[in-house]
Amino acid sequence: MKRSVGQILGRTGIRIPLILWTIAVLYPIFWMFLGSFKSNAEIYRNPWGFPETLNWQNFANAWTNYNIDTSVFNSLIVTVVGTILTLVLAIPTAYAIERINFKGSKLLFTLYVSAMMIPMVLGWIPLFFLLADLNLLDNIYGLAIVYAVSQLPFTIFVLTSFMSTIPNSLEEAAAIDGLSPYGVLWKIITPLTMSGIITVTIMNAIQFWNEYFMALIFLQSSGNYTLALAIDYISSEAQYTNAWGTLFASLVIAILPVIILYAIFQRRISQGMTEGAIKG
Amino acid sequence: MVQSKKQKYTFLAFCLVPTFIMFAIFTLYPLFSGLYYSFFNWSGSSQNKEFIGIGNYIRLFNDAIIPNTIIHDYFLVVTKVIGIMVLALFFAVALTQLKIKEAPFYRIVFFFPNIMSVVVIGILWTFIYNPSMGLINSGLEFIGLESWTRPWLGSETWALPSLVLPSIWAGIGLFMLMLMGGISNVSKSYYEAAEIDGANQWQQFWKVTLPLVWPQIKISILYIVITTLNGSFVIVQVMTAGGPNNSTHVMGSYLYQQAFVQYNFGYGATIGVMILVLSLITVLLLQFLMRRDKVEY
Repeated sequence: MKRSVGQILGRTGIRIPLILWTIAVLYPIFWMFLGSFKSNAEIYRNPWGFPETLNWQNFANAWTNYNIDTSVFNSLIVTVVGTILTLVLAIPTAYAIERINFKGSKLLFTLYVSAMMIPMVLGWIPLFFLLADLNLLDNIYGLAIVYAVSQLPFTIFVLTSFMSTIPNSLEEAAAIDGLSPYGVLWKIITPLTMSGIITVTIMNAIQFWNEYFMALIFLQSSGNYTLALAIDYISSEAQYTNAWGTLFASLVIAILPVIILYAIFQRRISQGMTEGAIKG
Repeated sequence: MVQSKKQKYTFLAFCLVPTFIMFAIFTLYPLFSGLYYSFFNWSGSSQNKEFIGIGNYIRLFNDAIIPNTIIHDYFLVVTKVIGIMVLALFFAVALTQLKIKEAPFYRIVFFFPNIMSVVVIGILWTFIYNPSMGLINSGLEFIGLESWTRPWLGSETWALPSLVLPSIWAGIGLFMLMLMGGISNVSKSYYEAAEIDGANQWQQFWKVTLPLVWPQIKISILYIVITTLNGSFVIVQVMTAGGPNNSTHVMGSYLYQQAFVQYNFGYGATIGVMILVLSLITVLLLQFLMRRDKVEY
């Protein structure tokens, strides 16, 4: 009996840090949602409590006066174009590396994978001038291309490991039935890798939606700002305008899609990231 | 598969060449020409690009801010590795070894900051550190420690340490999951054997868990080091932009300032080369230091 009392105490004791950390994670996020419903006066008066009324003014203000509508649209385009382009580029290469015997396939794989460890900051300066030469600077499609290529190594890496689990016999049977290799890739391999494709696509989408630094360098006019840049702009303005409520509303707009994706694909996202990190 | 050699090579080319061309244009070429640019004095326009040999590198060694940016980067590396590993290991052990019913809830909550945008994290924490309204100062006042309140991000001494907390906050979940994966792979029989031998939970942790999840610990540390050296500047840029008075500049944010704010593109590229070299050396050194024979019982 004595031992079980000790154990119960131990269990409760171990829960204290867990609960504290839960509060540390959730409270700021929660508080950001609360702040988005408060007027500026209320934020100053009562920065950490509940709002007195549900006030949607901040959202309307962010949406219309701070061009968040344009930025959401830009972020959506960059995310959608970026993720599709990543898949178009990555699926055939992942298949060739994983399934076709050719000289240098190991080398090519190593080249792609080692690019994950290289700090890309060095490349951003030449990339800036390259995009300028290609007329893709300050252009959301240019940014989408840069994003897609930046996630290529990770995507190829994850897809090859998914493809390695597909049995060879399926492809052989399809080839005997007269399917061309293009048909095998499109009709057999792609559907069978769908689980992996969904996982990398969600992760790439979150990555592109959230990305800040490349957007900061490669986009210049406010009409092209992605959400991250628009928020950064509102934040630096808020020091003078004190438009904190608007800032919180725009943060909420940025984080909502991520929360929804996480709510649906929680297991996929955490597994994908953990495995990507472990094997990479 | 029944197909001619020619067909096979056409298909291979179809699969590999377009992707590789894109990769070469947007990844390989920029990296190598970054190396090349580091030998020029260049403010962006094509006329006044002047070859100055190792001039930028001499400037790098004489720039008083550079050693500070390196120290700041490694300060973040060390504090993040310690902070994240201690907490992530503790949480991972707590959630796997002690049968806690609501463990999945903690797992889901702790991981969430990992997929938040650095901009959101940075702005949120800037507000938490806000001298008048922020949670930290309000909290200190609430528990009667008014003398501890300070303008965290506005102070040259406290700004850099203040960046550590958001980074740990945002990073813990991923490493906790990696370690949990390692721990759940350790066979139960080792713990049973340890228990029979009279080892308490603390001893079990040191003698069984730690050695057997060493591979995951090693990968986690390497991963934190790489992502910090290659990416710490993002949170710096969002929260302090290197200030106050350069006290939080890390290598990457200093590169950004030199290249894209002051238009010293050649010198910026030189800083980029330094980041590349330092991060490669650090990773190789760490791999050498942490090689430890695989433990098998």
